Amino acid sequence: MIIYIYDGSFEGLLTSIYDAYYSKEKPEEIVKNEEYVPSLITNPVYISSDYTKASKVSNAIKEKISPTSLNYIYYAYLSDIKGNGTAIYNYVKLGFRLGKDVDLHLIENSVLKIHQLVKKVTFEYHRFLGFVRFKNVKNKFLYAPIEPDHNILSLITEHFIQRLSNEYFIIHDLKRDIATIYNKREWVIYKLSKEESANLHYSQEEVFYEDLWKDYFESIAINDRLNPKLQKRMMPQRYWKYLTEIQ
Amino acid sequence: MEIQEKLKILSAAAKYDVSCSSSGSKRKNTQGGLGNASESGICHSFAADGRCISLLKILLTNYCCYDCAYCVNRFTNDLPRAMFTPDEIVSLTINFYKRNYIEGLFLSSAVYKNPNYTMELLIEVVSKLREKENFNGYIHLKAIPGADSALIKKAGQLVDRMSVNIELPSSSSLKLLAPQKTKETILKPMSFIGSQINASKYEKRIYRNAPSFVPAGQSSQLIIGATPESDFQILRLSEKLYKGFGLKRVYYSAYVPVSNNPKLPALNSPPLLREHRLYQADWLLRFYGFSSEDLLNENNPNFDTHLDPKTDWALRNIDKFPIEINKASTRELIKIPGIGVRSVRKIASARRVHSLDFDDLKKLGVVLKRAQYFITCKGRYYGSVSFNDQLIKETLKNNVNSKFIYNSRPSNNYEQLSFLTSAPASYIPSDTFTSISGEL
Repeated sequence: MIIYIYDGSFEGLLTSIYDAYYSKEKPEEIVKNEEYVPSLITNPVYISSDYTKASKVSNAIKEKISPTSLNYIYYAYLSDIKGNGTAIYNYVKLGFRLGKDVDLHLIENSVLKIHQLVKKVTFEYHRFLGFVRFKNVKNKFLYAPIEPDHNILSLITEHFIQRLSNEYFIIHDLKRDIATIYNKREWVIYKLSKEESANLHYSQEEVFYEDLWKDYFESIAINDRLNPKLQKRMMPQRYWKYLTEIQ
Repeated sequence: MEIQEKLKILSAAAKYDVSCSSSGSKRKNTQGGLGNASESGICHSFAADGRCISLLKILLTNYCCYDCAYCVNRFTNDLPRAMFTPDEIVSLTINFYKRNYIEGLFLSSAVYKNPNYTMELLIEVVSKLREKENFNGYIHLKAIPGADSALIKKAGQLVDRMSVNIELPSSSSLKLLAPQKTKETILKPMSFIGSQINASKYEKRIYRNAPSFVPAGQSSQLIIGATPESDFQILRLSEKLYKGFGLKRVYYSAYVPVSNNPKLPALNSPPLLREHRLYQADWLLRFYGFSSEDLLNENNPNFDTHLDPKTDWALRNIDKFPIEINKASTRELIKIPGIGVRSVRKIASARRVHSLDFDDLKKLGVVLKRAQYFITCKGRYYGSVSFNDQLIKETLKNNVNSKFIYNSRPSNNYEQLSFLTSAPASYIPSDTFTSISGEL
């Protein structure tokens, strides 16, 4: 069984699809490096990312399937759910056969799978527009730690740049050790470990506003209609770690 | 008084206003400014009652010159009073917003001195935010009934949403519980805001840069269970507000006992199920093509506790069913109990390339618990009982199982008495959250 292994980048994934298309022996699965577990029956092929091949594939998807479809593929790629590489590969294969109508074939497993992944990522992306909490570091920049299930960091950063265009800020994904850094003009994505962010110092003012926010959070609830189950469904406990108001 | 103390008092005083949505506005950030609005709205947190926190919801002051019996802030009520300065509200909003605690500000107020004076203070706060601080986040401002139109107009040009709360659904109830308010003082600002919104939409079509006026529309709130109006009367009022004044939302707030005034009912707990049924019906009015007369009538003026309004309607109109999933128009599909806008969209897409059977629907994630009794797939009926309205009704009523029992309390509530006497406790269906989280 042939398995393609890519470096975890989107270019890597698209390159794998390119190579799979032009090779005689088709792969059964496409997985990222860290996901791959060697076994006796698998025959790993390591794919090196190639920008030209990747952009050929992305153009082909846009033209032969649809721009929306490329967007779906990107979101499905951002989901950190095992097997997403193979799911995307199967979807693209079917897409090249069916063209722009592929997304109507919701009862095809390979289409349904992608739509489910997209839904999960979109939902979490939307949730985090609300669940990010910034802290003011020495009045110099805003810093927000997050641990989302999916790799939504770049998606939410675009939103905060619109909103906080006149602030310096860092959003740090502690699960993946990456951070986006914005300097009022442009943003970059950076490797940043937990340790490096451990000794940030917050100002006295920070505690003041955090306490005000906690007070507000408590006094806005109507005690005659407490409903902790509903609260947890809307704001799952796995996200509470960095929510100032409810740790 | 310290700002902490003020915030506690004035947020607690604002919490009975249930509106929380931050949707409907496309306001962009400006050069060097702070914030923008998100059209779908964003929930930033969820309080212990499960309701979403999107906006910093506070009163400017709870010093009030009115004595409305249902209201916690009436001047005869003995409770701590406070008043923010405009600068305090501005700095709270900006600092909360920068930390992404909130989507914007929802500012309301008790009537301090007189309506015009209060309205001027509110305008001072929002114009400081918009003009001095360059704040472009969402602002929802309450219009004070009785304030001058010129003031309402000025406010409307600065904010995203305005609301005037009707609170009590009939003139007689107003007279009884809020003697200083009349139907006219409430409806006048509503119709004024409505006409200004229309005028601004028209101007925008001609001049792209025409100033916007309340771009997210206006909303209102009705208190449920404080006065004897039926569900039918309430729903008809909402329908008129949507059609006549172009309201975006009408909120329903289950009356929480805040007073032991003899004019008010003694409730053990807020009528949450009734509130829930009204929200379901409200959705049916706005997105599903139903009218209030479809759902209720003079002989049958209140909603069934065991059946949601759409199922109830379907059972009364059983001759329109079963509906064939592969042939019905989307307008027919959306009337099937248990099938919502999203499911209709999925069915409409999928059936263009493939005719659907029952298992396909399951695969698409369509909820079939109720729908199974009202549909056929490729001509076949899949309900667990035969197609007969009495049988279906029995089955669906029995489906309301014990896990929906909200809290065990005796059913001797005023107003709910009539239709809860047979039930051992009040039921809260599992989809309650959609209504009170205020999505949309």
